[in-house]
Amino acid sequence: MNKRAIGVKRMIEITNLKKNFGPNEVLKGINLKVNKGDIISIIGPSGSGKTTLLRCLNYLEKPDEGIITIGEVSINARKVHKKDIYTLRKKSAMVFQSYNLFQHKTALQNVMEGLIVVQKKNIKEAQEIATELLRKVGLEHKTKAFPSHLSGGQQQRVGIARALALNPEVILFDEPTSALDPELVGEVLSVIAKIAKEGKTMIIVTHELNFAREISDRIIFMDNGVIVEEGSPKEIFVEQKEERTKQFLKRMVPELDYSI
Amino acid sequence: MGKAFDFTLILEFIPTLVKYLGITLEILFFSIILGILIGLVAAIPKIFKIPILKQLVTIYISFIRGTPIIIQLFLVYYGLPALFNLFHIDLSRVDALYFVIITYAISNGAIFAEIFRGAILAINSGQTEAAYTIGMTPSQNFRRIIFPQALRIAFPNIGNSVIGSLKDTSLAFTIGVMDMMGRGETLIASTAHALEVYISLSIIYYAIVIIIENIFKVYERYLNRYQPDEISAV
Repeated sequence: MNKRAIGVKRMIEITNLKKNFGPNEVLKGINLKVNKGDIISIIGPSGSGKTTLLRCLNYLEKPDEGIITIGEVSINARKVHKKDIYTLRKKSAMVFQSYNLFQHKTALQNVMEGLIVVQKKNIKEAQEIATELLRKVGLEHKTKAFPSHLSGGQQQRVGIARALALNPEVILFDEPTSALDPELVGEVLSVIAKIAKEGKTMIIVTHELNFAREISDRIIFMDNGVIVEEGSPKEIFVEQKEERTKQFLKRMVPELDYSI
Repeated sequence: MGKAFDFTLILEFIPTLVKYLGITLEILFFSIILGILIGLVAAIPKIFKIPILKQLVTIYISFIRGTPIIIQLFLVYYGLPALFNLFHIDLSRVDALYFVIITYAISNGAIFAEIFRGAILAINSGQTEAAYTIGMTPSQNFRRIIFPQALRIAFPNIGNSVIGSLKDTSLAFTIGVMDMMGRGETLIASTAHALEVYISLSIIYYAIVIIIENIFKVYERYLNRYQPDEISAV
């Protein structure tokens, strides 16, 4: 994974990001830098704040404090304007754990929606882009199907196509395979891996540790609202320094006992 | 009910009565359209939990639900002119038809508000989040994502309300509106064949309800096109 040897460009910068839910401190001052083209996986136990971190990146969750910068758009949580939020959201796209497809629209229409409403493309052009993307995720034969007539894996692939449609600079994946039947996980992961090769900046919150290890440039281990450790897959999965990381991996992948 | 029952009179009365169907449908049409508008507006404070307005809407809805439509009709018919009198506006020459439409619009509005509220809240918030992440504004999300789906959920209830409302229009004659029912009353007065008139009226109302029901069924099937098969088959 030496594709970014020279000329790295900063894509995302998060500074001192804090978020509380009532008395519950979910994010306790997160700092993170992501370069253009980086593929980052965030791992960690449930309740560690990884999904909240991802949702703060497009202001689905409003942080209490901190600065988020994606590309040239920067928002300080202390003085947010509606307009900034829209601009920030256009920088990224999100793939949800529960797909969240528009139920009354076909697979094709789901992908077209943002192209038409947000990017104001004409229908013909939107149709061409959407058809091409559905082909890319292997669903060219399902363009006219409604979400309720698709399997979970197919729905999630439509979700990925919808995210790609707006050609965002960053794609955020929020546990994209957690709601899937085990036999459907593979088809979704292979689509994600395919996109990863195209050089898009991606942040993936996942429990699929093997996948994260294979695909990522960098792994971030979060626990209890802080980034405990970050590094290359090898540094996190093999040479981890922190006790909490060790404990977590031991619980998640007992077979790692042998390789250490 | 003095005279002996005469079956042939039923067939004779039906065409006379049907001529007044227009008034009945006029009341229905305007009270439903206005009711939908009132309902949409009244649903907003409850969905977004706007203080004070929310309580006002709750009282409005519970009052409408808790009182008979015929009393609401009299309250409007006598109450509105009294109210306008305070501002020296004379409503005594206004056609009774308008009071009927206003009453039924207010009454339907309360019912529609509850139907819309339930339907809108039934759409999972995930789709709204998805709409926001692709850069849609709240109003685009409402128009393109939430509303079309809420319509499907609300539709069977809207259908029932329309049918209920059609039947309620038969009370308009009590304040002197000459709709089918009003014409029926004058027929009874002039012929003394009450039973035949009521049978004719019931045939007409029933036929209209069946027609409306079938129109709704076709549209409902269209709205359900994106549902899983087992649901859309119902």
